[in-house]
Amino acid sequence: MTANSVPSKIFTPKAARPAPVKTTGAVAWMRQNLFNGWFNTILTLAIVVGVGSVLPAMLDWVFLSASFSGAAQADCTGTGACWVFINAWSQQLFYGTYPAEEIWRINICVVLMAGVLSAPVWLPHHLRNRVDIALLLLFPLVAVVIMDGRLLGLQYVSTDHWGGFTFNVMLAAVSMILGMPLGFLWALGRRSTSMPMIRSICVVLIEFFRGVPILALFFMGSVMLPLFFPEGTTVDKLLRVWIVLVLFMAGYMAEVYRGGFQAIPKGQYEAADSLGLSYWQTTLLVILPQVIKVSMPNILATAVMLFKNTTFLLIIGVPEVLNTAQSALNNSAWLGGYASEAYLFVGFVFWCCCFGMSMVSNHIERKLDTTRR
Amino acid sequence: MSNSSDAVIRISNMNKWYGQFHVLKDINLNVRKGEKIVICGPSGSGKSTMIRCINRLEEFQQGALQVNGIEMIDDIKNIEAIRKDVGMVFQHFNLFPHLTILENLTLGQVWVQKKPKAEAEALAMKYLERVKIANQANKYPGQLSGGQQQRVAIARSLCMAPQIMLFDEPTSALDPEMVKEVLDVMVELAEEGMTMLCVTHEMGFAKKVADRVIFMDAGEIVEENTPDEFFGNPQTDRLQLFLSQVLEH
Repeated sequence: MTANSVPSKIFTPKAARPAPVKTTGAVAWMRQNLFNGWFNTILTLAIVVGVGSVLPAMLDWVFLSASFSGAAQADCTGTGACWVFINAWSQQLFYGTYPAEEIWRINICVVLMAGVLSAPVWLPHHLRNRVDIALLLLFPLVAVVIMDGRLLGLQYVSTDHWGGFTFNVMLAAVSMILGMPLGFLWALGRRSTSMPMIRSICVVLIEFFRGVPILALFFMGSVMLPLFFPEGTTVDKLLRVWIVLVLFMAGYMAEVYRGGFQAIPKGQYEAADSLGLSYWQTTLLVILPQVIKVSMPNILATAVMLFKNTTFLLIIGVPEVLNTAQSALNNSAWLGGYASEAYLFVGFVFWCCCFGMSMVSNHIERKLDTTRR
Repeated sequence: MSNSSDAVIRISNMNKWYGQFHVLKDINLNVRKGEKIVICGPSGSGKSTMIRCINRLEEFQQGALQVNGIEMIDDIKNIEAIRKDVGMVFQHFNLFPHLTILENLTLGQVWVQKKPKAEAEALAMKYLERVKIANQANKYPGQLSGGQQQRVAIARSLCMAPQIMLFDEPTSALDPEMVKEVLDVMVELAEEGMTMLCVTHEMGFAKKVADRVIFMDAGEIVEENTPDEFFGNPQTDRLQLFLSQVLEH
């Protein structure tokens, strides 16, 4: 090795690379997410143009040119939406034709419902399971007694006057409360290997209530079911559609649980067996809580669907919120087309509730996640 | 080889099939009270299946099984009585993930043995002390390491005051550095005189605590002997081959 064979080691810097593109800040974010490539750039521009051409008119209609205060059609002076209509009919939209001086009873029911549904959050840990289940199962009964009033010595309000948005909410809630355990029993039955008879019955029930459209079920409940009752007996129409809703919910929930059951490892059953737990102890103490946990997103989706489906009761003349809105639209003092306002309002109220339910379910999911450290 | 008069587990001519597949072939085994038995063999040899038959996580089709004098028959009362005396520890721990460690340990006591909650918790804490994880009592299984979970699983079984403990590959799902902490608990348990049946590949553990080591292959008990003879003087080619493969590492 001679010194000559070593290549000369004179330092020659490479040309500086260009400064990096900024990767933080609003401009960088837009570059990364909205303008990365010609296709996304075109899409972004198209959306901006599309929204830009609609949004001003919409905002103008909803807010700027809208009339807000007043009590009669005459107060609809703006060129935009007339929210006076909603204002004037708000009591009916929320409470139906329930007597005005008795509306506090509905409010009590709604508060009770909120309390019962949120019980897992506020109940102390050691009371949770049993008390929670008792509260849930008691609520439908208590709500019916308060709304009806006779047992409490209050003014009797027949079910014809139960309506409005609060009614949609409560009908969905009590259907869920009863449909969820019923669906669990059906799901258990469907899994049973030792009782083929029960298994077949459960399969038929689940597939029937999942396979038939809910509107058809409502018609069956309101028109067909009375034909089967003995002559002279009348079962309240509301009770009949309620039963339909509960069974409908049960059918969907059964399938939701079935997915949950499949996610439970076999080892959980074996561990419970080896400890000597009985079938029902294993099912209720070990399996059910885990099934509910893994099924939580689907349970919520089903609950939201059921809640929105309560508006279909319009078709068979139950005075729920859409039905009330339509009566208001047809009222002679308010002729002139406030349909946009009415439906937008109903849509908004439903959206608020469903969005709230999503928030709550996210919270519950985080709470149930026992793997976080 | 053991006299059957004082046996707590008696298995005679046990046969089991999965469909056409003959998993257990004429198994005969008597286990005396306080005896420690290690069962080894290649995978698929039926060793897990055999011990799972003892508390009826698996059913067998032919033969007889007696635990503590109770005949294993298709009667829920007998099954429950046997399960009361037999504890089991699984490869994958099988703790209940929705319950805290303490609740995992009290569930069986409260619901099966109908003990008051305070008493159940006191016993649970005692066993958690013993497996050295009392400070984790209020955590959830998912927050513990594998070795800790397996120790909890052992404690959970012990809380039910079993007379016989079955271990189904208790260390196979553990990281190597966690195997020892679980084996330590098992050795301690063995020294206290618990009747134990362990399916395991931990040959060190077998040499240390086993009264008898059993080698199973293709659904039969091929060889059984004291650890010294078993490892020092294997009789059959099959066991020699197996040992050469297991002990090489």
